[in-house]
Amino acid sequence: MAVGDPKITRLLEHPAIWRGRSAARRTGLSTGFAALDAHLPDRGWPRTGLTEILVSRFGSGELTVLMPALAMLTRAVAARWCVWVAPPFVPFAPALAARGVLLDRVAVVAGARPSDPRTTADPCLWAFEQTLGSGACDAVLGWMRRVRSRDIRRLQLAAERGRTLGVLFRPRTAAREASMAVLRLGVEPLPGGVRLTLLKGRSAQRGVLDLRWAGSVPDPGGCGS
Amino acid sequence: MRPQLLIHPVSDTADASSAPAPVPLRSVRRRLQASPARELWAGLHLSGFDPRGLEPLASRAQRFTPRVSLAPPDGLLLEVAGSLHLFGGLAGLERELTGECLRFQVRPVLAFAPTPLAALTAARAGRALHITDPAQLVSQLAPLPISALRWPEETRARLARAGVRTLGAVLRLPRAGFARRFGVAQLAMLDALIGRTREVRPLHEPPVRFRRRQELDSELSDHQRLLAALTPSFDALGAFLTARQRGVAELECRFVHRNVPATHCVLTLAAPCSDGKQLLALFAERLNALQLPEPVRALELRADQLPPQRSPCRGLWQAGELGGEAGAGSEELIERLRARLGPDALQGLEAWAEHRPECAWRATRPPPLAPRRPPAARAMPETPEEPAARPLWLLPQPQLLDSQAGLPRRRGALRLLSEPERIESGWWDGEEVARDYYSAMDRYGVRLWVFRERAAPHRWFLHGVFG
Repeated sequence: MAVGDPKITRLLEHPAIWRGRSAARRTGLSTGFAALDAHLPDRGWPRTGLTEILVSRFGSGELTVLMPALAMLTRAVAARWCVWVAPPFVPFAPALAARGVLLDRVAVVAGARPSDPRTTADPCLWAFEQTLGSGACDAVLGWMRRVRSRDIRRLQLAAERGRTLGVLFRPRTAAREASMAVLRLGVEPLPGGVRLTLLKGRSAQRGVLDLRWAGSVPDPGGCGS
Repeated sequence: MRPQLLIHPVSDTADASSAPAPVPLRSVRRRLQASPARELWAGLHLSGFDPRGLEPLASRAQRFTPRVSLAPPDGLLLEVAGSLHLFGGLAGLERELTGECLRFQVRPVLAFAPTPLAALTAARAGRALHITDPAQLVSQLAPLPISALRWPEETRARLARAGVRTLGAVLRLPRAGFARRFGVAQLAMLDALIGRTREVRPLHEPPVRFRRRQELDSELSDHQRLLAALTPSFDALGAFLTARQRGVAELECRFVHRNVPATHCVLTLAAPCSDGKQLLALFAERLNALQLPEPVRALELRADQLPPQRSPCRGLWQAGELGGEAGAGSEELIERLRARLGPDALQGLEAWAEHRPECAWRATRPPPLAPRRPPAARAMPETPEEPAARPLWLLPQPQLLDSQAGLPRRRGALRLLSEPERIESGWWDGEEVARDYYSAMDRYGVRLWVFRERAAPHRWFLHGVFG
């Protein structure tokens, strides 16, 4: 088969034909980092479906990685909400605004408290699923400690139903469990950046990517120690 | 065939000049005069129908026209001239009306005529006449028997002795003599029958509130069964709201117990809703959080505030597509979250010009998903002024840190990364702060936002995580 044949090239541009990594078309949502875009299967975050971000420690830089994409989403003409479901702390509005996020598209599900383990229905999980499937959100971020793989499957289906990017933040130990998520990414802190490990992605190369924040000194010297 | 006039001028003839196909003004005027409110009445005869069902049926029938009139004990009249084109003409309206009656377990005789009494009389005579032309009214009515008018037995008997058995024969009698022998009331009825005088009928006023009480066959305490028992009530509520073009903003359900006072359950909505199924789904979430002290023996559903319902405007594009909007799903999501998690379930965020970090943000009502004007939205994110100055996470309360030799510790010593940023503010409201903020890194590489109090013990606090 002649790959350079213009007829075949035109045929392959059909959106129903999925060619994995070799397709040059960008279907994902740009992460705002060129190196990460090149590393991810769809040249960016998947627009629909569940993405898992696994961190060993809260605050490793996992939110900073997501910020440029969130800023872009909230600035679209037909922007829907970016909902934060049961965040562990207060999302700091001035910091979000400074990173380009338009606050009139940000909403927080505040009422959900993690329930006691005796009851089966977790209100956080319920709120996450409802928000993902509502179709009113471009992105839904959720923080959950214990999620069963059956729940992940439901979240993934809800995200597809609502055409939403769902981001689930989980502890790194969950990497051993099976997951239906479209993309799984491990995040570890580095001085002035993060180390990303691609754990799962549709036909993507596994591997490690070191990402430096723009304008950061590689190893900032401490001023007090 | 070319349309002659595309815009109907209602009161102002100036509108006619803006019509695409210019028409002489005289013809517009003539047409306006020639179309007075010509009425067409649908008469329904419901033989063997329970008279108590007449009012609910009338309320249901108001989805066809606002002008519904009761003709007890077994008749119903609807003025349908303005509704014909909405239901596909006479045939379509007849089919829909019959279907509505069949839902009440009665098969109607349906007749159409320009006067209400003619329509009702024809229906009562068992003749499904379709009289649309007033000129044909008398000739069509003529063969009908007099009994359909429901005059007193004695009057009918006297008419029968005179050889008068049909409406046509009655109408041929001399007016003066008829009035003298049979009474002025009967003559006035004949005039109303053929439209010589206009009959003004009292219109059916639907109830302004919704109340429905339901006694249960057995006492229930299971939420699922209660919900199943409530389903018909919610169906009735949905039909009621649809017929009245109203929504409901607050809905109350009372669960009546045997010994203890009734439990009230109130569902408050952000926007009026008229869909019975959606209301039931929301109520189910509300019910899940409800503790019932005893089994329930009766249910009562009430809706008192019924604001007018705007019909939803659906876009061409789906939500999430280019050009699509997401307004429809957002209201529903707010309602669902509120029903289960409480009134403050979904909040918006707002930045507030304040130096103290804990006062620099506020929770607001959920932001409406109104469409944006493109220029404002397309503006690409400007370069962030100070990307690292403020953390993405703020702790609700500053967390006290250990310190060693004047330096903060948290799971090991913290390394301070930045020059101090002094925030000293709030002397006017009693929440005065005097702090030196630092960006710090713990031994795992997590960046934290810590501060040192300027006052005497110089304690260290953790106030944010850069994330």
